[in-house]
Amino acid sequence: MSVVQPAIGIERSGAARSSLRLRIENNPFSWLVPVALMLGVFYLYPIIDVFRLAFTNATLLGRDEIYTTATFKALLGSPELPDILMTTLVFVAASVIGQQLFGLGIAVLVMRGERRKLKGMTALRTIVLIAWVIPGIANGLIWQMLFSEAPFGAINSVLRMMSIAPVAWLSDPTNAMISAVISNVWRGTAFSMIVFYAALKAIDATLYEAASVDGASSWQRFRHITLPQMRPAILVNSILITIQTLNTFDAIISLTGGGPGRATEVLSLFTFNAVFRNYDLAGGSVLSVLMLVISLVLALGYASMLPRREASE
Amino acid sequence: MKRSFRVALLATAATAFLAGAAFADDLVTKDRVGPADAPKTLTLRITGDGPYSNEQAWADGYTKLYSDFIQRHPGWQIKMESMSQNIGQEQARMLEQAKSGNGPDCGSVDSFQLALFMNAKVLQPLNDYFTKEEIADLFPFVRDGITGPDGNIYAWWWDTDLRVLYRNKEIVADAPNTWDELKAAALASKEKGMEGLLVNGGRWEGTTFDWLANFWAQGGELVDASGKPIFAEGENRTKFLKAVNYFKDLVDSGAAPKRIATIVNYDDFNAAAAAGTTALFIGGNWQLGQLKSALEPEEFAKWTFSPIPGPTADQKSTGTGGWTFAAFSKDPEKIAMCAAVIKEIYSGEGNALQQQLPTSKAQFAKFDVFKSEANQAFAAALVNGRARPGVPIYPEISNQIQVMMGDVLAGTKTPEAALDAANAAVQAAYARL
Repeated sequence: MSVVQPAIGIERSGAARSSLRLRIENNPFSWLVPVALMLGVFYLYPIIDVFRLAFTNATLLGRDEIYTTATFKALLGSPELPDILMTTLVFVAASVIGQQLFGLGIAVLVMRGERRKLKGMTALRTIVLIAWVIPGIANGLIWQMLFSEAPFGAINSVLRMMSIAPVAWLSDPTNAMISAVISNVWRGTAFSMIVFYAALKAIDATLYEAASVDGASSWQRFRHITLPQMRPAILVNSILITIQTLNTFDAIISLTGGGPGRATEVLSLFTFNAVFRNYDLAGGSVLSVLMLVISLVLALGYASMLPRREASE
Repeated sequence: MKRSFRVALLATAATAFLAGAAFADDLVTKDRVGPADAPKTLTLRITGDGPYSNEQAWADGYTKLYSDFIQRHPGWQIKMESMSQNIGQEQARMLEQAKSGNGPDCGSVDSFQLALFMNAKVLQPLNDYFTKEEIADLFPFVRDGITGPDGNIYAWWWDTDLRVLYRNKEIVADAPNTWDELKAAALASKEKGMEGLLVNGGRWEGTTFDWLANFWAQGGELVDASGKPIFAEGENRTKFLKAVNYFKDLVDSGAAPKRIATIVNYDDFNAAAAAGTTALFIGGNWQLGQLKSALEPEEFAKWTFSPIPGPTADQKSTGTGGWTFAAFSKDPEKIAMCAAVIKEIYSGEGNALQQQLPTSKAQFAKFDVFKSEANQAFAAALVNGRARPGVPIYPEISNQIQVMMGDVLAGTKTPEAALDAANAAVQAAYARL
């Protein structure tokens, strides 16, 4: 009796737990509500508020808000916006292409090195990752010192030692954009490398063995096995780094401040300046909505190219 | 016996000293001044001018000033909030917080942005804490800057600064007095292996502020009495273009390197002076102390300063800035405590500690440090001092001048086209304000 009683107790408590689990599983709202609440408060509400502010004349200067579409018209019709969008397009496109190419190149290099059991592959991965963990502001400052056009600027000093004329890295509008892209590619390549390295690891080795048996060259194996197998990874990576680059302003603000003139003023920096320099909360909100729309359109565009899973899978 | 008594006395004194030092340290912690269990609290938001300054001497000096202060005000603790280097963002954030009632009790407000805070009606009057004589003794531009439309003072402007032309006497013996003389001196310095004249020219407030001296020297006005931007109208347009063309000519002629379009920090001038690559730069008065620290004494002895040259010898101006403290809290006790922080720590003692120029004649006379030849010269130069207009549109005017300067110096726009673009953007922003 004394032995049976606890067993019944355990069974009862086990049954109670199982019943609770069933109830939770049957009523997803009980565990979805806290998550939805968190997402709503911390993600959805700010987005809704940005949309609301975009339809006002709000500033940080303390006057009463009125609802109006004038801010939308003023900002979207401003003569600076086309130049800002073009600068953003060049910066984002060049950065995304650069990060993907270098990321893929390094990932392939590391994979081949590992296959050949070469030493130093882990060190190589770590070195690339260091750039990724450096904050944007610090990244901008580092490159500002390197690109400095002062007689003691790092890169130009090396060029002078090699009897090469110094380059106007930051004072020339075209070079300033190239410099901003270089600094952003340097920082962002590691992320692409990680994504591509993981994707390369997942490719079935037998595909390469079969291709080798058929006499495929390295380029043919890369072109017809590696790239098709990595397509989903490349597209997902494209979505992620496009949105990330579109939102990048910290590295630019510390590298060029958006100058000379507006040569490197991308949309995110333009938005930051609208709010934090001109106190134009409504104008900044309009530009934020524009950035959100651009990000969504690009993400949907990339996503539509992703291979779809078969229904049976 | 006598010996052991002396030893005991010494030990007691040493213990008391160490305990006192430890007590002082305990009173100023990473984010608090005063005992943690003190019943009354003042939140104070400051820049680097405080116990957490990067300059060790300033940090030590302020630690002592705060420590002494809090011991004179028992029952209080000060919760310290530090601003980052991104002052524009910090000020915008503080304004927004103050508007929603979440601002600090007391805080540092950049003098040129004070009008925005006053217009937003987030500041409390400080008249009761300063005598009429103290207010009357302030330099006129300072008094005007802190006085609201109702005649009350809404902050205390405790330090000011101005821009001057620094030169290496060994390379540029005589002080250039006019634009032409400065250009000639810069070109001559290049022949001696220097870079020429260095000035701020990148995308930041310093570019606008330093260049404005050349516009103001001709009598140019950015805004009218109602705050409307008028810099591109009538005579102002001519004066504006003349000042822009002056900078363009400096770069085109080689008197200034093209890289000035990338300079966004006064520290770059110190670096160039230390590297011996420039003999001329337009910088702030505070840089004299920095040069003294950075250069060997014999090198520092070569450097001196003079007023910024104007288009003619008698047309001169210089931008004056500085920091204010203002009370955001409506609690009378906290306003009084804020005023006490200003009077007992910053206005006077803080000026002397940092060698930041005071804002009244009395302070110049009170502290020996301001009786030095250099500081007397800075005080004299304040006669030509001019503060930026305290109007809501100023940040956008400044932003557009920075863009314009970059476009002109890089050669992507003519001065006329750049001015027209700047004016169009400013007028559009003004219409939305």
